[in-house]
Amino acid sequence: MADQNTLRVLDPTGTLSIATDGMAERPDSLAGKRIGLLSNDKLNSEALLDAIYDVLAERFDVSTSHRINKGDASRPAEPEFLSDFSNEVDVALLANGD
Amino acid sequence: MTANRLNSNSIEVANAFEAIEAYFERGWSDGLPIVPPTPEAVAAALEAVKLAPDTLLGVEPIKGAVITAEKAAINAVMAGCRPEYMPVVAAAVEAITADEFNLHAITVSTMGAAILLVVNGPIAQTLEINSGVSAFGPGHRANATIGRAIRLIVMNVLGTSSRDGLDKATLGHPGKYSWCVAENEASLPWEPLHVTRGHNINDSAVTVFAGLSGLQFGEHEASTPEGILDAFAQRLYALGPGSHEVVLVVCPEHAEHFARAGWSKAQVGQYLYENTRKPASEWANAGMPSGVRQENGAEPGSGGEELASTLRTPESAVPIVVGGAGGAWSSVIPMWGLGAKTKAVTRLINAVR
Repeated sequence: MADQNTLRVLDPTGTLSIATDGMAERPDSLAGKRIGLLSNDKLNSEALLDAIYDVLAERFDVSTSHRINKGDASRPAEPEFLSDFSNEVDVALLANGD
Repeated sequence: MTANRLNSNSIEVANAFEAIEAYFERGWSDGLPIVPPTPEAVAAALEAVKLAPDTLLGVEPIKGAVITAEKAAINAVMAGCRPEYMPVVAAAVEAITADEFNLHAITVSTMGAAILLVVNGPIAQTLEINSGVSAFGPGHRANATIGRAIRLIVMNVLGTSSRDGLDKATLGHPGKYSWCVAENEASLPWEPLHVTRGHNINDSAVTVFAGLSGLQFGEHEASTPEGILDAFAQRLYALGPGSHEVVLVVCPEHAEHFARAGWSKAQVGQYLYENTRKPASEWANAGMPSGVRQENGAEPGSGGEELASTLRTPESAVPIVVGGAGGAWSSVIPMWGLGAKTKAVTRLINAVR
């Protein structure tokens, strides 16, 4: 309790009910890895991903690429969509765009 | 006693001025001084709306931010709300957390939408929410503080602010400080917004829109619905084709002409839908591809002679009557992303729960 000479005031911030995982473990090497390219459907996002993939393919002995587009930049991908994607790839690149 | 059931952490400060500075320092303000949310003030707000502190008003669907009545009340007190404004704040929280409003996207996007609250029904008069002269302007406590409460809730409870970098708006929007009006129901030529959206005329309700900056225009010569709507049409062309929702702010002087001619909202939408069409090629040449050709499998932006309207459907036009008598100034308020991925949401206001 605040005494007569002080004022007690309340914290306006809230809590998030969705748990956030930390960063995924980084691979030691990209050699032989399947690269996933996840576009958020923003303008130029696929071009950006392709350009990054080209650099990776040039520098590292990556295995394959797997491209998908989640189709709506304003909402998260559906869990099933990500589950299928994660089974197809070892590492994933996500692109913003505009 | 409600004050004893509050769960939020608290800080102790010497006085109200120190509280104001402490909230600035913690990033808990919108840049303006806040009213210190003491337990007693927050309890009074909750008692006015007859809600227990832990009542869940909404959960933002993507980040999972939990908005309890207590957190809403703390932010409402900070915004300067009187306790009796809480029913409007509570209903607005329910509205903005509806999935179709897409709150997370509209608050973090570079496009920088603000949340427009339109209040209908008897509570607007009871709380003196301005719908008349300078309705979108300053000077009215209910308008200023209810709108501000919603923004503080977004900043503090969702944690979405430009200060921490989650609000990425390129330009921002002055309506992000506060953007709350009542519909000018005394000047309506047709039914109020909340009735169009399925509620009874004696209900009170709040409708939320993810609005971009409005385009105000004067049309002082036209005295027919068609003439006034032709002026609206010029502003709709600027938005490009295919708005899913767009708010038409009709001032009372313009509204009188619709009343005299006996026009309905449906006629307004139908007229604009039919009379703001251009060939896809013209839209494409103006740098605003209509999507008509893409849907037919052609390259984006190629455009043909198919007609595409500024409105996706006649119902995409959402007329509201707002403003003071005198002056023929109306406005078009575009929605975030032309309303494709956000939808207006209406919720009933329960004066006492």
